[in-house]
Amino acid sequence: MNRLLQATFPFIGLISLWWLIVFIFDVPHFILPSPERVVWVLVERFPLIMSHAITTALEIICGLILGASLGFGVACLIGDSKKLTQLTMPALVISQALPVFAIAPILMLWLGYGFASKLAMTTLIVFFPVTASTLAGFRAIPKSWELTFQTLRPKRAQLFWLIRLPLAIPYALSGVKVAASVAPIGAVVGEWVGSSSGLGYLMLHANGRGQTDLMFAALLVLCVEALVIWSLVNRLANRFDQNSQVIS
Amino acid sequence: MLTISNLDLSYPGYDPLATLSWQISSGDQVALLGRSGTGKSTLLAAIIEGAPEVTKQSERIAYLSQQPALLPWATVIDNVLLGFKLRGTKHSSDLTQRAVDLLDQVDLGALAYRKTSLLSGGQKARVALARVLIEDSDLVLLDEPFSGLDRSTRIQMAGLCQKLLVGKTVILVTHDPRDAQDWLDTAMVLTKDTIKGPYRLNEFGSDRALIQALDGDL
Repeated sequence: MNRLLQATFPFIGLISLWWLIVFIFDVPHFILPSPERVVWVLVERFPLIMSHAITTALEIICGLILGASLGFGVACLIGDSKKLTQLTMPALVISQALPVFAIAPILMLWLGYGFASKLAMTTLIVFFPVTASTLAGFRAIPKSWELTFQTLRPKRAQLFWLIRLPLAIPYALSGVKVAASVAPIGAVVGEWVGSSSGLGYLMLHANGRGQTDLMFAALLVLCVEALVIWSLVNRLANRFDQNSQVIS
Repeated sequence: MLTISNLDLSYPGYDPLATLSWQISSGDQVALLGRSGTGKSTLLAAIIEGAPEVTKQSERIAYLSQQPALLPWATVIDNVLLGFKLRGTKHSSDLTQRAVDLLDQVDLGALAYRKTSLLSGGQKARVALARVLIEDSDLVLLDEPFSGLDRSTRIQMAGLCQKLLVGKTVILVTHDPRDAQDWLDTAMVLTKDTIKGPYRLNEFGSDRALIQALDGDL
């Protein structure tokens, strides 16, 4: 009960402050709608908001799965070789350094305004943290461990599957956790640039019509959705992460 | 026989260290003392990695460091047999029995099928020793294997090494001559300029003598 109170306290505080600002300054609802107005819109337009929320959730989840798989796969391919990592690192860094907003129009042009371009945006934003963390895992093996394994005269494949890969997995999972927190950015940016459904699209659509309350309701659902996906990924990652205390 | 000829222990970007030449006969067991940063671990790494300045009779080397390099998700016996698994050798029942026997010798027979992450530091050190023994290598390199262990466990480990490494060529790198005194007779001292010795380990009975030796003044 105490923990629940602790967790909800900041939200209650924030909503109270929001309500007070609207009440004291008598802010017009098209600038800042009151919390009860947002809740009312949420209830009234629930089916509409939910249909858009499902689109965004699918984009985030599929992008996470695809981006994490690609990131992990690429890291496994190049992680075993220092030279290959050095060669490919600049391209990997560029994939992250370019703002998603800059790439979005190009992806729309190539992949259209449907699901594929949003999936590509989310995949792109997820890819780098997973690749970088997994690569860090391959590099984190101490020198004394490397020397020990060298004296055991291993076959390269056995060394990779039995030692290097399992030791890199906790790092990959922490990358997935980070990626889960940024994945919604890819999906929503993609929807803003061009789409016909999703919470990003709904917010843009509502903004154009002065329906600030609907915008806030969509934003609220997006926050809840991002939080739920992030906690699910965290739980899943923690369940798989059995090798955290590896260096013993 | 292990011969090291003009091996430069310096590390790029740091103060220059000794360029050493050293010869160890088969079956010799020697402690290598030296202050931190004199290149003791670099020397062992050069031997393992087969630096061109190093000539060794056998390619079979066993290495035991302060970090025992045990896979925490594997059982004790799987860690002992890790070398065979990494080489793709199939486990025979004889091999498994040999591993169990060795674990008995290091007092861990009862824990053979326990997950390694559940062991104490001293138990992990003994598992790593059992892995060194099952490899049956001719040259055994020990890089401060007792650091981080409490005094009684260090004494126990030294006793096990004395009993189980009979006939092997051994280099024990250590800061503390007490880790070697009960077990080895000879010591070499590596300073920033040179390698000196051999000394009798009992010459380092007093702290003063040890400090003089580490400073290259003995």
